[in-house]
Amino acid sequence: MSMLHASQAADAPISTGGTPPTASLMRWVAAATLPGIMTMTAFFGLGVLSNIVLAAAFAFVLESTVLYLRKRPILPALNDSSALVTGVLLGASLPPASPWWLIGVGMVAAVVIAKQLYGGLGQNPFNPAMVGYALLLVSFPAHMTLWAPPQPLVGESLWAQIMGSLPSEQIDALSGATPLDAFKQKADELSATRFWANDPLPAGTLEAWRMISLAWLAGGALLLARRIISWHIPAALLGSLALLAMLFHLADANQFASPTFHLLTGATLFGAFFIATDPVSAATSRRGKLLYGAGIGTLIIVIRNLGGYPDAVAFGVLLMNLCVPLIDLYTVPRPEGHARGAMR
Amino acid sequence: MMPLFASRGGIYPPERKSRSNQVPLQQAPLPARVILPLRQHSGRPGVACVTPGEYVKTGTRIAKRDGLISADVHASISGTVTQVSAHAIQIEGDGLDTRHTLTPLDWRETDALTLLARLDESGVVGLGGAGFPAQFKARVIERHAIDTLIINATECEPYITADDIILRHYPGEILEGAQMMASLCGASQIMIGIEDNKPEAIAALKQVIAQSRPARVTLSVIPTRYPSGSEKLLIKTLLNRTVPSQGLPADVGVLCHNPGTLLAALQAVKSGQPLVERVMTLTGEAITRPGNYWVRLGTSIDELLAHVGLERARLSKVVQGGPMMGNTLDTLNAPVTKLTNCLIAADQAELPPAPPASPCIRCGACESVCPVQLLPQQLHWYAHAREDDKLEQHHLFDCIECGACSYVCPSHIPLVNDYRNAKDRLRHQQIEAAKAEHAKHRFEFRQARLAREEAEKQARRHARLAQGKSSSGSSAPTTAPQADLRSLRIAQTAAKAAVRKAEKVLAREAQQSPDESHDDLEMQLATARENLKAADLKLAQARQSAQASEESQ
Repeated sequence: MSMLHASQAADAPISTGGTPPTASLMRWVAAATLPGIMTMTAFFGLGVLSNIVLAAAFAFVLESTVLYLRKRPILPALNDSSALVTGVLLGASLPPASPWWLIGVGMVAAVVIAKQLYGGLGQNPFNPAMVGYALLLVSFPAHMTLWAPPQPLVGESLWAQIMGSLPSEQIDALSGATPLDAFKQKADELSATRFWANDPLPAGTLEAWRMISLAWLAGGALLLARRIISWHIPAALLGSLALLAMLFHLADANQFASPTFHLLTGATLFGAFFIATDPVSAATSRRGKLLYGAGIGTLIIVIRNLGGYPDAVAFGVLLMNLCVPLIDLYTVPRPEGHARGAMR
Repeated sequence: MMPLFASRGGIYPPERKSRSNQVPLQQAPLPARVILPLRQHSGRPGVACVTPGEYVKTGTRIAKRDGLISADVHASISGTVTQVSAHAIQIEGDGLDTRHTLTPLDWRETDALTLLARLDESGVVGLGGAGFPAQFKARVIERHAIDTLIINATECEPYITADDIILRHYPGEILEGAQMMASLCGASQIMIGIEDNKPEAIAALKQVIAQSRPARVTLSVIPTRYPSGSEKLLIKTLLNRTVPSQGLPADVGVLCHNPGTLLAALQAVKSGQPLVERVMTLTGEAITRPGNYWVRLGTSIDELLAHVGLERARLSKVVQGGPMMGNTLDTLNAPVTKLTNCLIAADQAELPPAPPASPCIRCGACESVCPVQLLPQQLHWYAHAREDDKLEQHHLFDCIECGACSYVCPSHIPLVNDYRNAKDRLRHQQIEAAKAEHAKHRFEFRQARLAREEAEKQARRHARLAQGKSSSGSSAPTTAPQADLRSLRIAQTAAKAAVRKAEKVLAREAQQSPDESHDDLEMQLATARENLKAADLKLAQARQSAQASEESQ
């Protein structure tokens, strides 16, 4: 039995062979969301931070409560920071300044149902944050699909929004549309060039989304550089997404947006680096990860272009989570010494 | 220089070799008393051939090989046998170290059978850790065509420097030992695989090669990366040959030997010295005089560590073998055996207890370091869920237990322990399932023994009869039809083939899992041998009578 461990061997000649302990791994993921969160805050105001703070608070409270009820040690589980990561990721996915009860409902679905009821960290077949997100999306579509346009740091009715006390007419008035949403809603006979020439979005929206996407990319690059995630899932996801978007675009440029548009708007890059790479609910072998990522990328484009929802990262991830056992079954690597094709 | 072939996975643990490889090889003091276990090798324990009170010299055989995969044990000091138990022989030394040596042989002038017999009676086994009997390994030529002998001098485990040090001190002898073993198994080339963290040993080998200019010897310096010394990986790296799963290096024409084994084999032949001592690394922060020592087999570990300055207050545990694959000793009241290549007296800081395990998050770190391309985390789940068919489907038995996965696991899960337990459980199930089969084999053995005894009795009677007849001059009954002789000959050939087959099966099993018991296979082999003896006797008898009848006609 190995008596040496990477985390305890400070004198190892090359320490990159291993990953940091699970807890610090989770904290690195949380840290890598900072560029994206800060950029989002810069464009959409403090409502972004309020989402994340509330979601993280819910995560800690719910996780401790369930662990207490399950009679499991609470501190080690809180210390691994996995609940924090779930909170940060769900918080970052929600429209800025979402009401507290919306966040609460989402976190109950994420932490209690998707994670703890399946047995806690490592046991959940579905990505917890995306379970929460999908539940909110189908249950409260009005709250979930309308993003406010870019605005100053402190919006006019920030507090009222968070408290959920804003009348619904005012919510509609505050809300703009995401680029993905706007393009989807455009009239069929309107050509894409005319659509963009009219610029139907509130000023600066498209630029804001591009900057935010690039910030998520920067965070993803940090995770890759620290070897916290492997390149397989993001590369396969983005590659298949770009390829399929290109095919659609070539077939009908008026109906279907360009690959660049798909890559740089919506939750594509956030999803590719922070959501799809959740190791617990992803496929395990290298080949399996490639298949898994490619499946998500494909589903995102199919749903965006042909389905009823403007964005589809959550559904893409959840549907591929379902496929993981199957993928794992058929991608067991061929160990050294087994003849090619001799697998059972 | 040969090209090297990349293999996947592997880790870079701290080496910690400088603590023991900075001092020259030393001699541990002659122990006053030794305890020699009867099983210091893979396979069956030897059978004691001395009795309490008997005087033995250093090198006197005290236990005989029992079965095909087994080895002799020799007294490692001169003195009096004081105790013979089922597991070990104890000798009280006289302090004189009187030697019993065999006739020195020149291996270049000696035939293979004599050399094999010498290795056999010298008790030489693999000193790298597995302890496979060297004479049996050398007889591989009976079953496989070997073209390459590899000297596995990688010594990739942290801490251990025994091979490094003997390569510095005895490079010529080790190379000569390799040439001898290569000539025995018919290998035409010798390759030396050594990690690049042993510059002195590499220099020593280069010098010897430059001086003696041996034919077809290649020195391959490979990058330091654990577990490069795993036999199958080394063969892949040096020769780009893939040993099949559940296969042996011999299946791809390769035989691997550890430098220590080659040195011991050469000494057994050239100086007639049976295996009574070995070089081992004594290291760790809790001893003050670390280094490599010639140690007599059977020396008490406690006394040995005391000799090198064990600080008992600092000691947290003693590890036998390396920190990756070795095991922690429960007691220091144990002897050094042929398998003990290293003892690490570690303090709390250098090998700290593993932090508590947290849940697996399927991060895949284990998969990326696995040198045989398994999915360790899947195996972990299946081992815990006891899904045995899934375990086999995920190739549990291809795991070489190197510990790379445990080393990198961010959740500190003792993965290798899980795999070992699962393997044990599965093997146990197989043994249970094969119990009826074993009973059948035991019965067959008994039948074969009785048949052989009957044949012997017949032969004796026949001989007496023939003698009586030749003296009385009466003609023998001419009842030896040619057809009968022919069918006996066929039966004898079949019996020979059965023996060969049984040997082959046993050899394969024993080399694949040297730590298991192979009694059932040994019994099947013994059965085949009894059958062969009986067939031989019957044939000889039939021939005699046929001859006699011809003469009389």
